[in-house]
Amino acid sequence: MNLPALSLIRREYLRWIRAPTWVISGLMSPILYLLLFGQAFDLGKLLPPGTPASALSQVLSGAPTYFSYFAVGMVAFASVTAAMFSGTGIIFDKQLGILQRILSTPISRRSVFLSSLVFRGILTLIPAFLVVGFALLLAHVPDVAGLTVGSGVTILDAVQFLVAALVLSVAFTALFLSFGFAAQRIESYFGVVTILQLPILLTSNAMYPVNIMPTWLQYVVGVNPISLGVNVMRMSLFGSAGYPYPVGVYLAGLLAWAALFVGLALLLASRALRTDVPAARHGSALSQAIAES
Amino acid sequence: MSSTGASGAPPNGGQAVVIDAENLRMVYPGPKAGASPTVAVAGVSFQVVRGEIFGFLGPNGAGKTTTISILTTLLKPTSGRARVEGIDVVAHPHDVRRKLGLVFQRSTADEELTGRENMAIQAGLYGHTGGTVDGRITQLLTQMDLGPVGDRMVKTYSGGMRRRLELAVGMVHDPKLLFLDEPTLGLDPQGRAGFWRYIRWLRESEGITVFMTTHYLNEADQLCDRIAVIDHGKIIALGTPRELKDSVGGDTLEVSVAPGGPDLSPLVTTMPGVKGVARSDDTYRLKCTDGERLVPRVVVALEQAGVSVRGVKVVKPTLDEVFLELTGHAYREEGEGLKADSSEMAGDGSGAGGRA
Repeated sequence: MNLPALSLIRREYLRWIRAPTWVISGLMSPILYLLLFGQAFDLGKLLPPGTPASALSQVLSGAPTYFSYFAVGMVAFASVTAAMFSGTGIIFDKQLGILQRILSTPISRRSVFLSSLVFRGILTLIPAFLVVGFALLLAHVPDVAGLTVGSGVTILDAVQFLVAALVLSVAFTALFLSFGFAAQRIESYFGVVTILQLPILLTSNAMYPVNIMPTWLQYVVGVNPISLGVNVMRMSLFGSAGYPYPVGVYLAGLLAWAALFVGLALLLASRALRTDVPAARHGSALSQAIAES
Repeated sequence: MSSTGASGAPPNGGQAVVIDAENLRMVYPGPKAGASPTVAVAGVSFQVVRGEIFGFLGPNGAGKTTTISILTTLLKPTSGRARVEGIDVVAHPHDVRRKLGLVFQRSTADEELTGRENMAIQAGLYGHTGGTVDGRITQLLTQMDLGPVGDRMVKTYSGGMRRRLELAVGMVHDPKLLFLDEPTLGLDPQGRAGFWRYIRWLRESEGITVFMTTHYLNEADQLCDRIAVIDHGKIIALGTPRELKDSVGGDTLEVSVAPGGPDLSPLVTTMPGVKGVARSDDTYRLKCTDGERLVPRVVVALEQAGVSVRGVKVVKPTLDEVFLELTGHAYREEGEGLKADSSEMAGDGSGAGGRA
């Protein structure tokens, strides 16, 4: 990473550290889900008394309790929710003319894009870690369900979990970043993001087991990037016994999504960062007024 | 067309040419397919030499910002060529960006960052870091009278402080050429005059060349060594403020005499240095090149002819008159201009959004 790109990362960091409210609000929903929804909605309690634990574990693809199953889904949910804010900074930079100032310096366009992706990607990953820590902590609170992990989890499994969380974060950061590069207004950005958020989440296996869903939905859920990432993370913690494919298949699918989203972001970023076409075409703030007057 | 504006060549050919623009044109396509294109710059040629403050003067929408965007590589011209420090802006934009500093109309500093942080990050964008940069930042903050507020967040700055910080940010990588796009927009007349001091000061101490746009007539008059007057995308006059004002006929001498006398027009017309006379009742308006020198001669001649002179006033030409003479319409600045400003600002944000 070169110095100009590091300067932009420093800028983003300083801005973020002085106004971290968005990250806190991004963390609110997953924490509430863990504290309320995850506690109240225990699928295990729906089974008749006396049902062996293994039966529940089978429905949950190897997870010991519903909360443990659900908590891993919330890790992905926290990432996606945090990623939703990834594209906001670039829109403000466009509107305030800050992007034009940056583009008037010798920094390469690729560095502008990469610094956004790296910094926002890290920001997206932080809530995922916090949710894991919080869920593990809850297991030690009496009368509260928490995340319990099997004793067979190795370092390699932990690394696999981290890789999945990282790729998932990068994928959704890139997706929402690409909307930020494309949109001119914060309203239109959040319009698109809000439309996407629920369908993406609800067609995943983050909250409920895939094998109790109707078959048609199972197909959709199977290719959803959140599901693919959650599968890898759950397999890392609870074992891969309940899954039809080896972990590499899910990871490959997730990587394919990440490549697609990064490619999309790269395309839209290079369009937004162009200075060799008339500004009126891509709505750059600097010359817009001139074109219209 | 003013006689000085024919070529756009600098007055003293011996000095190095820093900006060389040849027949620049910029045509914006219509916002929708089929809409008529907008010609923002319609063939502009000029040269800027080392060390001068060169002003682009014109009303809003004249093509000033488009021209500055082309010269600073933020926009590719439809046709024509421009070289900055000898480098072609279209062929080698990256090299051109290293050479120049740019100050925008609006404040582009990060509000939640301090002035010093804003400058350090800007320096980093040019690949500059370390102790020399820190020293440079402290020096510039002091020079811009921002020393005491350098470590305060920009959101606490006044309008004048923000403009000075923009100047400091634009100078942080030590460029020898500074572009200013409407640098005093939104400042009151006092703040504007104060800001000129900083620009002059930078020119003296750093030996920089300044290319600036403005729609304030007196700003161009007071600050710029040479002015290109631009209207509807074309340069309609180019020269020093003095040359431009002389081109519309120089000074006017207003002579008031005692009422009821005969018509003195034939008498004063014949006097050396008088180029024309207009009479309204007992006041004669004499067109001349050097008003002050004509005053005693006119007074003596009239007294000798037995005319009682009540008063004499030398009226200096203004760029207002230059503009009126060249375009046939009066220059709109404060009232109209300010209105246009606010709509232009709105256009930046919401207008841009319309193209999403």
